[in-house]
This record gives sequence, structure tokens and C-alpha cells, in this order.
Amino acid sequence: MKRTSLLLFACGAALTTAGLAHAQSGGSLPPEGLQEGQGAGFAKGHYAELDALPDWGGVWFLNRGGNTGQPKLKGDYLTNWDAWRAEVAANNGVEKRNRSNCSPPGMPRIMQLAQYPYEFIFAPGRVTVNQEAWMQTRTIWTDGREHPPLEELDPTYMGHSIGHWEGDTLVVDTIGVLDTLPFSNGALHSDKFHVTERLHLSPDKPDTLVNEMLMEDPDALAEPFKVTVTYRRDRYGVLYEFQCSENNRNPVSLNGETEFE
Amino acid sequence: MKAIIKPLLVLAVLAPMPLAPAQAHHSYAMFDMNKTLELKATVTRFKWQNPHAFIEVDVPVKGQVERWAIEMTSPNNLQQSGWKRTSLKTGDKVTIYVHPLRNGSKGGSYVGIRFADGSTLGQIG
Repeated sequence: MKRTSLLLFACGAALTTAGLAHAQSGGSLPPEGLQEGQGAGFAKGHYAELDALPDWGGVWFLNRGGNTGQPKLKGDYLTNWDAWRAEVAANNGVEKRNRSNCSPPGMPRIMQLAQYPYEFIFAPGRVTVNQEAWMQTRTIWTDGREHPPLEELDPTYMGHSIGHWEGDTLVVDTIGVLDTLPFSNGALHSDKFHVTERLHLSPDKPDTLVNEMLMEDPDALAEPFKVTVTYRRDRYGVLYEFQCSENNRNPVSLNGETEFE
Repeated sequence: MKAIIKPLLVLAVLAPMPLAPAQAHHSYAMFDMNKTLELKATVTRFKWQNPHAFIEVDVPVKGQVERWAIEMTSPNNLQQSGWKRTSLKTGDKVTIYVHPLRNGSKGGSYVGIRFADGSTLGQIG
């Protein structure tokens, strides 16, 4: 008993202020830019503020036919893309894949899918983008946190997104996207890839949501690459379940060909 | 490609476009989007599930029966254009228009359909 008390005392003494906060918040430290007690995890009492946000209710389908243009690549990224293009041309236009078709495309292409709609869920300190495709979910932190330092950030399909509202426009900043994922027609980016999105309702069409995407990469892009897509609203639409493993009729063969079963 | 009953000129491409940003679950390069076939068929299965709905049909060809698999877009997109999970059932006699697989296998990408009652969805002819 005495030993236990001593041990507890020693542990308590070792806890700095941050350590106490650590214990209070349940295991994780506040992210960069936030103090203990701040952030999306402390939503209670802030829900009424959401009513000031714009009306993005319903689900949103991509409008087809947007013109994306081609990114201006440079250096090895250009060389590699030329090689990719030549290979696709030599293979009847078929792009070889090194991963399953049940694997999602990641940012930014996950926001550019024609077949599967999106919904935007507002909560204090965050906007959640639910995506029918692959049943993906994307968190945009709007609680004032910052990106972790790039070297501490685990690269992911979605990357790390922080956002803020400029009037009725949600401005989203994303880094930390896996550099193995093409961002446009076979074009790859570096680990310095940076996406800025400006999401807002169309000024003259309230059932159209606009996403102005700006991509920058000091290693891969000779100039910023801009893609604007629009989505149309369906107020009573819902996202359908997407369990690719239950209906995977397009497996990828050993040599990268998408098959058809 | 014995199953080609009546090759038709393509009138329109209803299926997802192969170019960005209209990215889909996979590339459509496997299909010949410039060719449309008409299949007079009997439904053997209708699968209403992401990532793609599928129709499987039997097509009689010269006394034989060929089993075709036809990939559609997502159920949600289909619902937006008038489809329902109950739109087809096994045994239904239909005429289906497809962009065939390039490799000659008995499969294709859905373009349009004429149901047994004469009603249609998608691009016909």
C-alpha cells in the first residue's frame, strides 16, 4: 500500500501541466494551435453557432463535364508522366493499376467523383465530408488547430485538412497526402503537395455548390494547378452503402489489368 | 464476338466519361465506348449494389445461350435516372444496349434498356 502511494505520488509529481491535461482529455494531447479545453472535442455549448453557416443540406452529385486541363509538371515528375502516358497509349488506353479498384483515390480526386454523391455535416469545430464512394469520410478541422509539422504527419489518402470560414466560403487547406496517389490522369506529386479548396454555393444558383481547388507543389508543379468542380443538390437524397469487397467484379490482375467478372 | 446481333452506331454516351474529373470506380478503357450492341436477352440476375450495379442476362445466339454480364453505374446514379432495385427481376425479357468489352468477352457497359412492357431507360438504339 505504501509502495503504491509512493508510486502514485511520483507519477503525480512527474506530471507537468501538459501531463495533467493529457489525463483530463483522455489520452491525446491538444493538437498544434489549441489549448486544453479547446477544439472540436469540446462541442457542447457551441451548436447554436452552426446556424450562422450557409445552407449546404442534402446530398451533392458532381456535375459531369467539368474541364480540368492538365497540370504543368516539371523535372522527374514530368518525365515520369510522359513515360506513364506512353505506356497507357501502348496499352490501348488502359491504365495499369498497382492497387485494387476497392482502394480509394485519395485527395483531391475523391472530391471529383461522378458516380457517388457527397454530404457535408457541420459540427462545432469541424466539417465532415461523407462520401458514398468507398464510404469514405473526410474531416476538415475548423476549430483553429494547425497542421502538424510535415515531418510528424503520417501521409494518408485524405491528408490533413484544416479549414475556416470566409463569409459563406469554406476555405480548406490540405497537406500530407500520400505521394503514391495520382492527382490528375496519372500525374504524381511530392510530399510537399498542398491543396487549397474554396467551397461555396454558386451566387446565382443556390442548389449548386462550387469547389475551387488549387494545387501547389514546389517539386512537381511548374505552376499552380487549378481545378473547379461543381455539385448539384438533392435535398432528400441519401448516400448508399458501399462495400466494395461484397461486389468487387473488377479485380486487378498481377500485371495491373483491371478485369471484368 | 458472335454475340453481336446488331451493331449500331453510338448515339450518345450515357456511361461515365473516362476523363477527369468524372472519375469513377475504375477506368472505362476496357469498354469500346464507340460501339453499341443490342442484346435481346432474358434477365438471370440483377445486382443493386455499389460500386456498380450489374445485370446478368442470357442471350440466345444460333441455338445456343450466351451469358452476358453488364456493368451499370452506381445504384444512386441509376436511381436519379429512374431505376429502382425492383426494376428488373429474373426471367424478364428485355432489350439491352451496351458498350462491349474490347477483349471480346461477353460483357459490356450499360447504355440503355427496353423493358418487357415497352418502357425504356437510358439511351435506346
